[in-house]
This record gives sequence, structure tokens and C-alpha cells, in this order.
Amino acid sequence: MENHFLDNTFLARWVAGELTPKELESFKKSKDYATFKRINDTSQMLEAPTYNEQALFNKLKQLRSTHHQAKSRVIKLIPNWTYSVAASVIIIFGIFYFTNNNKHFETNFSEQLAIILPDNSKVELNANSQLDYKSKNWKENRDLILVGEAFFDVEKGSSFKVNTNKGVIEVLGTEFNINVRDDYFEVLCFEGRVKVTSSNNEAILLPGNAIRIVNNNAELWNFEQGKPNWLQEESIFNRTPLSQVIISLENRFKVSFDKSNIDQSKRFTGVFTHKDLKLALKTVFIPMEISYKPNQENTIIILDSIK
Amino acid sequence: MSQETKSVCDEKTYQWIYNTYAKTLRNFIYYKCGDIQQAEDIVQNAYIKLWNNCSKIVFKNAKSFLYKVAKNEFLNEVAHKKIKLQHQIYLAKESTNETPEFLLEEKEFMIKLKRVIANLPTKQREVFLLSRIDKKKYSEISEIVGITVKAVEKRMSSALITLREQIGNI
Repeated sequence: MENHFLDNTFLARWVAGELTPKELESFKKSKDYATFKRINDTSQMLEAPTYNEQALFNKLKQLRSTHHQAKSRVIKLIPNWTYSVAASVIIIFGIFYFTNNNKHFETNFSEQLAIILPDNSKVELNANSQLDYKSKNWKENRDLILVGEAFFDVEKGSSFKVNTNKGVIEVLGTEFNINVRDDYFEVLCFEGRVKVTSSNNEAILLPGNAIRIVNNNAELWNFEQGKPNWLQEESIFNRTPLSQVIISLENRFKVSFDKSNIDQSKRFTGVFTHKDLKLALKTVFIPMEISYKPNQENTIIILDSIK
Repeated sequence: MSQETKSVCDEKTYQWIYNTYAKTLRNFIYYKCGDIQQAEDIVQNAYIKLWNNCSKIVFKNAKSFLYKVAKNEFLNEVAHKKIKLQHQIYLAKESTNETPEFLLEEKEFMIKLKRVIANLPTKQREVFLLSRIDKKKYSEISEIVGITVKAVEKRMSSALITLREQIGNI
């Protein structure tokens, strides 16, 4: 190739007819000129494949109208603003839900539930019990509502209150057990100090102290185990009214008792296991001199005093 | 046409845009991919997109919108495939008052030229063919391809040199 190709737009300018007469003249003299001229001339006779412009436009029109119809239909059915309204509603309810979070836990028969509260305090919920609290402002306001039985291991912090329909338990220390059933109220303190306030009684419990309220009379007693017995898969009773022992059995094994023939005010001291109903019935009722047998449908256990 | 007030959504304007730009756009994509069917599909999709967005596009931007959309689609759907070049470029004018020998020789040259054009690098081919077939000025090509006029001239020159080298001496 000759030197005019060093100028890398030279040929382009030649094709466009923009060369100066002098440049053109010298280019015409070069030996490549003939070939370049032929390439240029021939390539200008080329044509791209023909096509039917109108047919394509009609096809386009058709495609366009289907697109357009689909588009307008969507707009008519669900206007865009409804999505934003729906999203806003969800967000508002979401904020409301998360900021006013009422937590509710419930255990059924034979169930136990371990709950970690927002400050890492632990609650073990025994069978057939309910626990409610508000997670909002938990640090400042540690209030819970308990129905049933639960064991609490409370982290240090502001006052920790458990509200029951029988009284309020305010924690001064760390570990305690509460049992609130229909006519029964029992608190055991395992560690630290617990203040119990019920309608006409107030008591501060130290570790190993326990209180129960039966028929509006407070009874204080001492115990020795380090954790509530039901956490160790057995239930221990210390001069507990028989009615309460039977409720524990019912909650634990999901059975019903016919109690019409026995004296429920008798006190029971002893243990029953959570693993075996037959064994549990035997350990509770034989020392109490009560016979037990299932009814015909196998749904209720009939209790009868042995005379 | 008054450039500012025309709405692309207007049927007449839309048709004018089609008649004015569709052919060159189609050829441009065809020079890139060498498949006429594919080129026509891409052009069609670009025009459908133009129509669907007609309210958002100012009339004077319609052309660059079409080229942008078509180029993107070409890059997305075609460029990554191994392109089989099937450039079919036809001889347009036939001169009849020549000797048979000359015509035969001319035809051979034409076949040879078409082959070497098909083998050009895409960047050189699109510029060369837009200039020689669609008779576009360098300034127009620079707008279409999206490069400077200087770059168009370089590619044009490179294309001619490549063709010259490939075709050999006559």
C-alpha cells in the first residue's frame, strides 16, 4: 500500500468526493486506484434484499393494536393507584402490628412451652396455661398476665410483675413458680425474693418459701427442690388439696375425672410421674384410699372412696 | 413538519416515522447480523416499543429511540449467537450493452466482492454498506452507529483497505 493510506481517512474522503484535486490526481496515478475504483463502483450497484414495506407496516399495526388493547384493559381493571393504596394499608397495619405487639402464648393439654422474653428472661409454661404480655417498651414495663402455671427465671432489671386473677406477683429476685387455677393460687420462690399480693394478703418469699391461698386463707410452707417439679417430668405436692392434684392430673394427661363421690378437700403429699398415667393414678389415689376405674366409654375415670 | 408539536401517538406521525426510518434501520441491523428475518423482527419490536411509549417520547427523539432499542435487542438476542453470515446482496443494475465476457467477469467480481464484504468485521461492514447501499452521508452514519464522523471515516477507509487486500489483484 502506498503512503496516502497512512492518512486513515483518505479513502473515506475519496469515496465521498472530498479529496482536493491535487490529492485525487496523485491517487489516480497509484497502481491500486483501479481496484479501489472498481470496488467502489461495484459496491454501489449492490442492494439489500427488498421487502414489502407496506405489508410489514400492516403487520406492525395489527401487533400494535393487540398490544394496545391489552394495555388499556389492564389499566381499566386495576388502576395503578390501587396498588399504592394497598401497599400503604399493609405498611400502616404492619407498623401498628409490630409496635403494639401483644404476645400471646397458650399451651394445650400435655404440652409445655419455653418462652424467652425480650430481656432474655425465661418462662416455662406448664400444660393448659396461657401467658400474655406486650413486647413494646418491655424494658420499662415488664408486665405479664398468667392463667395456669409457669416457672419464671427473671433477668435483672425494672420490676417484673405477673398479674393473675388471684393476685399480683412482683419479682424482687429471680426464680419463682406460679400456679393459678380456678380456686387455687400457689407461688414458690426458688431464688432471690418474691413479693406476693393478693386481695387480703401480702407476703415476701425467700428461696425455699412457698405460699398458697386456699379458700382465702394463706398458707406458707417450705420446700427443698431447686426447680419446680413439673420441669423434671414429675409433679410434687406438699399438703396440697386433692382438687388441685386432680386438676394437675387432668392437665397433664388430658383425662377427666368423676369427682362426685370423693372428698376433694383432703390434702395430698407426694409425687406423680408425667410419663405413665396408670402409675400416676396409682401413686395418687391408692394412698388416698380412693378407687379409680374408667367409665364404659373410656372417657372419664370414676373415683370412689374405699369405705 | 414542526418538530416540537408532533405527537408520536398520532397515527399519521407514527406512519411518517415508519416510512422515514424503517428501511435504513432494517438494513443497518441486517448488515450487522446478516439475517433479514431477524432484522425485520428487531425493527418490528422497536416500532412496537415506540408505540407503547409514544406518550413519553418527543417526536425529535423517536429516531434515536428506535436505533437504541434495536441495537440493544440486537446485542441481547443476536450478538451472543454465533452468527452465520448469509449476506445476500443483490446486483441492482444490469448493464446490457456489454460483451458476454465482460458480463461474466463482472458477475464473478460481484460474487467475490459480496463474499469479502460478508467477511468484513461488523463495524467496518455496517459503515461501508450504509454508505454504499443506503447512500448515507458520514454524518448520518455517525448518528446511526453512535460514533464520531472521524471514526466513521476511519472505519470506511479500513473497510476499503480490507476489501482491497481480500479481493487481490484483478
